[in-house]
Order: sequence, then structure tokens, then C-alpha cells
Amino acid sequence: MTDWAAISNAAFTVALFCYLAAMVLSFAFAAFRRAPMHAAGVVVGTVGLAANGTAIVTRGLAAGRTPWGNMFEYSTVLAFLIVGATLVLVEWRWRQPLVSGFVYAFAVLTMAMASLYFYVDPGDLLPALNSYWRQIHVTSMITASSLLGIGCVMTILFLFKDRAERRAVSAMERQDPPPIMGGAIDADAPPDFAAGADEPVPETRQSTKRGILPSASALDRLAYRFISFGFPIWTFGVICGAIWAQKTWGRYWGWDPKETWSFITWVIFAGYLHARATSGWKGRRAGVVALVGFVSLFVTYYAVNLWIAGLHSYAT
Amino acid sequence: MPPSSSPASTLRRSVGIVWRTLRSMRTALVLLLAIALASAAGSLLPQIPNSPERVVQYLRDHEIWGELLLRAQLFDVFGSWWFSLLMFLLFVSLVACLLPRSRAMIRAIRQAPVQAREIDAFPQYREVRVGAEPVDALSQARRVVRRRGFRVASDPGNRALAAEKGILREAGSLVFHWAFIVLLVGVILGKGTGYAGRAVIVEGQTWTDAEANYDGQLRTGRFFTSGHSGIQIHLDTFSDRYADTGVPMDFVSSVELTSADGSDIDTAEVRVNHPVSFGGVRIFQFGFGWAAVIEVERNEQAIRSAPVVMTQDTAPEGVSQLAMPWIGFVKLTTLRPQVAVKLELWPDGGAFFQALQTGELVPMIRAVDPVIRYRVYTGKLVDPSQATLDTHLMKRTASGVIGRGQTVDLQTGCPIGGDAPLPTTGRACPEGAADPSLTMTFPEVRRYSVLQVSRDRGVPLVLAGAILILLGLLPALYTSRRKVWVRVEPDDGGSVLKVGGFALQRKEQFEQEFDRLVAAIGATGEASG
Repeated sequence: MTDWAAISNAAFTVALFCYLAAMVLSFAFAAFRRAPMHAAGVVVGTVGLAANGTAIVTRGLAAGRTPWGNMFEYSTVLAFLIVGATLVLVEWRWRQPLVSGFVYAFAVLTMAMASLYFYVDPGDLLPALNSYWRQIHVTSMITASSLLGIGCVMTILFLFKDRAERRAVSAMERQDPPPIMGGAIDADAPPDFAAGADEPVPETRQSTKRGILPSASALDRLAYRFISFGFPIWTFGVICGAIWAQKTWGRYWGWDPKETWSFITWVIFAGYLHARATSGWKGRRAGVVALVGFVSLFVTYYAVNLWIAGLHSYAT
Repeated sequence: MPPSSSPASTLRRSVGIVWRTLRSMRTALVLLLAIALASAAGSLLPQIPNSPERVVQYLRDHEIWGELLLRAQLFDVFGSWWFSLLMFLLFVSLVACLLPRSRAMIRAIRQAPVQAREIDAFPQYREVRVGAEPVDALSQARRVVRRRGFRVASDPGNRALAAEKGILREAGSLVFHWAFIVLLVGVILGKGTGYAGRAVIVEGQTWTDAEANYDGQLRTGRFFTSGHSGIQIHLDTFSDRYADTGVPMDFVSSVELTSADGSDIDTAEVRVNHPVSFGGVRIFQFGFGWAAVIEVERNEQAIRSAPVVMTQDTAPEGVSQLAMPWIGFVKLTTLRPQVAVKLELWPDGGAFFQALQTGELVPMIRAVDPVIRYRVYTGKLVDPSQATLDTHLMKRTASGVIGRGQTVDLQTGCPIGGDAPLPTTGRACPEGAADPSLTMTFPEVRRYSVLQVSRDRGVPLVLAGAILILLGLLPALYTSRRKVWVRVEPDDGGSVLKVGGFALQRKEQFEQEFDRLVAAIGATGEASG
């Protein structure tokens, strides 16, 4: 049994350092745009993902149960899902090679926090945790956290890029003559280039080609995809948690701190989805709402366990 | 305001403004964020329903500030009037949004898709030439469009058709939002007419579901009128199981259940995660503890013989909760002066002596030679509670240690009989004390179980609401509404089909879908040009 635990811990360390290396390579690629750096980043990231998966499986073997019963295991799985989703969706499917570094940074932080504050040897679980609803609830909460987490990384990048683009546009407007479309503006031309103004963020701003990030509108779309993917899973996870609470504690909702914060996170992301459909809230303001949701996600995930006592504190 | 306006029209106008404000998405957004903020406050400050003792501590530490927070009901955020008001406003805003949307939705379902005047003005536009006659070409195109799940309407002249798909998006969104009303009704119904309380039952005792038997640990809903179930719960045994590491593995209460009229009798095991339903209530394993049976005799007349339900203090940092002794009180209110005994039970006598010698606290899992350290207070009892003891009008008159099966003199703290007298507080006890008038015997220790008993008729409705929320959410987020128009024009021998379309959401995906659709329409006849 201890052998499995030792393998698990070793694999965890390997995964952590692989993600760290992949992060550096990814940032280097974003800065210098050398294709081998990107390829190396993907390879190292994939090796890290495999090690991370090994750490999860061997931990399950060591404890003789599904390995997401406490905060340490929860964080390990979270890192796995974050990196996995990024490699599969962002890198492979949507071909966006510029943002992975930030996701690796997020995974590294998660794993470092886990090994610093939450490490426990694999062992048995409290009877309250011994329910198949635990597996469903926790699995969906981790999955949703990873998706919302990536969405929020994208939102932060979007807010930065959006600001940079706005500045670039206003700087260009001050120049005389403005170098738009390679020449002076034809004042008599019909204003049909304003088409698409109803989009949240205009696609073709001048500055999109510069800087190390994709365009603001691409980041905004990525953020929305991840958040709208994670939100129903979060909803499902909260509902499963309520069903489990009904079976264990005899009430489906009791405003326990973890419950309260999962509700707060839900409300904020519901606000984000509504904000995107509200004039005056699109783009930047919606991004700020998502950012608040990110903070709330972190409180739900870490702070409740570290500082606020409640029924979920056994998870530490 | 124009001076001519009558009060009635002013009122109507203000109601209109309020209604419009409530309907706006911005109001809903602000309300959502306000609720999030209030909930955050509710989780950061100690709450009366969850941890009243921490609220008391907070009030002691922050006098003025605490008083302000208390006035603002910030120690009971989720039960406060302003939280209820926020929720009420959110739900009014929800309904105000949903009513017109639902009406529009019903109209949209009834109505056939509307024909377009200028097809080539749409974001997606293509022309395909087919060999078939215009009427055939259009009916073939209609088949293609319909097979892809679009609702199709043709114009009277059979020259054009309009099609749309993805009404499920709006329908899902409506289901999602209406489901919150279902959820709310379930919560209000269940919590309002139901109750939840904690029954403390010692092994061998029978407990009846009635208000008086909850010992204050009962919460009833605002519209609770139907009374308690009256069922009887007899606790046969309580057992717990631990792993070698001391981690608890299972808690089981073996109970015999009897319905109020005695017609229905059942035995059951109430375990963590395995509640039992009986007589309209649900019974959950909530907690457990030790109860020492204490017999007190005065002048050889039994004046008390009952188990004392005991509780633990919270373990200090780094000490297992299982290592903490169990505290209970015996209050002899009929004596003059009154007498109270504070009992400190150590289920494992070995752990007690180890704690005495080394100060180290070790977990006590089984009852092995249990001992009780006791203190006797004499004077005036001011506190009727069984769980606490206020000694400010009493003074300590004796103390000592008693083992299972032993008897002590409560006036001197000296053991009477028994084979192995335990160490007392060091006072010398006379050999064979003569006729003690007040004695205490500790014949045995038993387990007690804390069962949560609750009735919540709203649970199925809440569950239904939750399922509807999920069912509505998926199409609301992942489907998109798109419209397609086709017009046919004769073109020497064949026809030209003009196809236009646009999507309200997911525009990129629609571009590809539109391409495939046009290709399929073109493939129905021999496409040429």
C-alpha cells in the first residue's frame, strides 16, 4: 500500500515540475514565436498530464477508493482537468497556442497550494463521505471548477488585451493622418465598415496582430465557451450536493459556508451569462463580473476550508 | 410633471415605472449581485442558526460594532427581512420578465415562420441552380429543410418558404427560469409546513415525536399546524466502527419504530447516509455520545435513577475529539439545600489515569473500566438547564472519582464498599463510614444516539424544480435560433433557388451549417451553375 502512495507522490512532483517547464516554454513561445518552443511546451505539458493522471490513479490504489475525498486529492484532480481541457480544447481543437502558459501557471499554483497546505497520506474517509453521491457531486464540482477556472484565466487575459486594444485605438485616433487601411480616410465613403457593431467586441481592431495574446474578441469567446460549459456542470454539482446533504444531514440546504459560497459563485456566473445579453454590460463589465466569480470560486474552493468552519471542513 | 395630471394617472405612471424597472435585466443583475454580497456576509459572520455560541463570543468581543450588526440582522442573514425582500424582489422581477416572454413564446409557436421580402439582404445568402421545375424544386428544398428539423411555412403562391429552428433555446430558458418558481414553492411549502428537530435517545429508552421531547432542539415552519407525527422511536443499540487509524467508519442506530396509533411496528437501522422514512417523517443519524446511569439515594430511598446524557467540550488544537472527557450534570432540586453534581466521564479508565500521570490525552473508542470524576456543589440552583451548571450561588462541598459499579458518599466524597476504591482528592476517608445519608452509584454506561427527525413535504417539488433547472439550462445555453428562407425563380428549363439565412446565436457554427444546407438543396436536382 505504501508503495502506491510513494509512486503517487513521486508522480505528483513530476507533474508539478512538468507543468512549470511547460509554463515557461509556453510563455517563451508567446514572447519569441519559435515553433519548437510551442511543440516542446505541448510535449512537456502532455508528459505532466500523464504523470498527473498516474498520481491520481496510484493514490486511488493506495487508499482503496476513488481518489477525490479531501482537498489534496481534489486539487490534484483539478490540475489534471485544467491542463487536460486546455490541451484538448484550446490547443488541439481550437488551435489557440498563446494562452496555455497562463493555464499551466494556474495548475502549478493549485498543485503547489495543495502540497503546501492540504497534504495528507492516503487513507479512509469519514462515514458521511461514504456515498455514491459524493462521487457524483465531487466529480462534477471539480470538473466545473476546472472549466470555470480556465474561463476566468481567459477573462483576465481578455480584460488586459481589451484595455491594450482600446489604448491602441485611441492612440491611433490621435495621430494625423490616421494610418487606417493603409492610407488616409476617404471622408465620402459610406460608413459601412461600422457593420458588426452589435458584436460584444469588434473583431478587427488594428492592434490584434501585435502583443503576445490573441485578439480580445477571441479571448472573450474562449472565456464564454468555458464558462457556459462549466456553469451547467456547476449547477448539476450543487444539486447533487443538495441531494447528498438531504441524505446525510437531513436537509438539502442549510447555508453551511461551503454551500453558501457555491451558491454565491453560481449567482455570480449566472450574472455573467445575463450580463453578456444586457446592453451596457457586454464586454468589459461582463468580464469584471466573471472576475468576481473567479474570486468567489477561489473562496469556495480554498478559503472556506482554510478559514471558515463548517460541515465541509472535514475535507481539509 | 404636467400640472393637469390627476393623482390616478400619476399612480398608474409610477406603477408602470416600477414594473418596467423590475422587468429590466439590469435590475435582475443588480439583485443577483446584491444577493451574492449578502450571502457572502452571511458566511463570513457567525450565524445564529448555525453557531449561536460564536455569535455570543463575537458580541462579547465587539460591543458597539456587534450591536450594530445584530440590529441589521447580519447574524441571521438568511432569515432576515431584508434578505427575504431581496429574494422577493428577484422573484417579482423574474415573473415580470417571464410573463411577456412566455406569451411571446406561445405566440411564436402558434405562428408560422414569417416570409422574408428581400432574401439577399441576410448575412448568409447563396443561389443554386437546379434542373427541376420551380414547384418541384421548392418542394424538394422544403423536404431538405424540414428533414433538418426546421419548421417550414410556404407562401400561398408556392414560390417561397420560410423556416426556423431552435425554438428550444427560448423554451429551455423559460423552463429554466420558471423552475425557480417551482423550487421556491417547494421550499416555502416544505419549510413552512414542516419541522426538524433532534431527538436524544439513550439505549433502551423510547422517545415519542412530540414538541416537548425535543428539549428545545426543534425548528418548526411558519405555517406549521398539523402537529407532530407522534411516532415512537425505541433505541435498541447504537454502535460505531472505527478504522485502525481512528477514523470513524460507520455509525448505526438500531431502532424499533411504532406509529402513533400503535398499528404499525417496524425495526430499522438508521445509519449515516441511510435515513429511514416512517410515519411521514424521515429519521437521520446525526450524532452520538455517552450517557452514564446515575442512581442517587437519600436515606436508602432512591431519589433519582436515570442515564445522564453527556456532551464534550471541543477538543483543543491537535487533540482528537475522541480523547475529550464527557461532561454531564445531576441536579437534585428537591433537596434543601439543593445539590448538583458535575460529572466528567472517561469511557476508558486507562486513558484517565494516563492523562493524570502524563497529561497526555488519548482517544477513547470503547468503554473499558469507565470512571467518572465528579464535583458536588451545594447551595441554590439558578439554572434549570440539564446541559449547563451555574454555581455562583453554590459552593463545592466534595469531589472524587467513581468507577463502574461503585458507590460514593456525596457529602464526603468517600467510597462506600466496592472492591477497588479509586483515588479521591487526597482527603482521608474513614474506614467504613457510618450511615451516609446521600449516596451516588454508577452502575453502568450506555450510548445515546442523536437522531434528526424532520418532515419536509416540499422535497419532491424542490427536486422537480432542480431537475427542470438542469433540463432547461442545457438547450438554453447550447442550442441556437436560426432562420432560413428560400425563394424559387424559373430559369430557362430549370429553376434558381435563392437561399438566405441568419442565426441569432453561434454565428460561426451557422456558417458551416448553412453551407451544408445549401449543398443539400443543390444536390436534390441535377445542379448546374
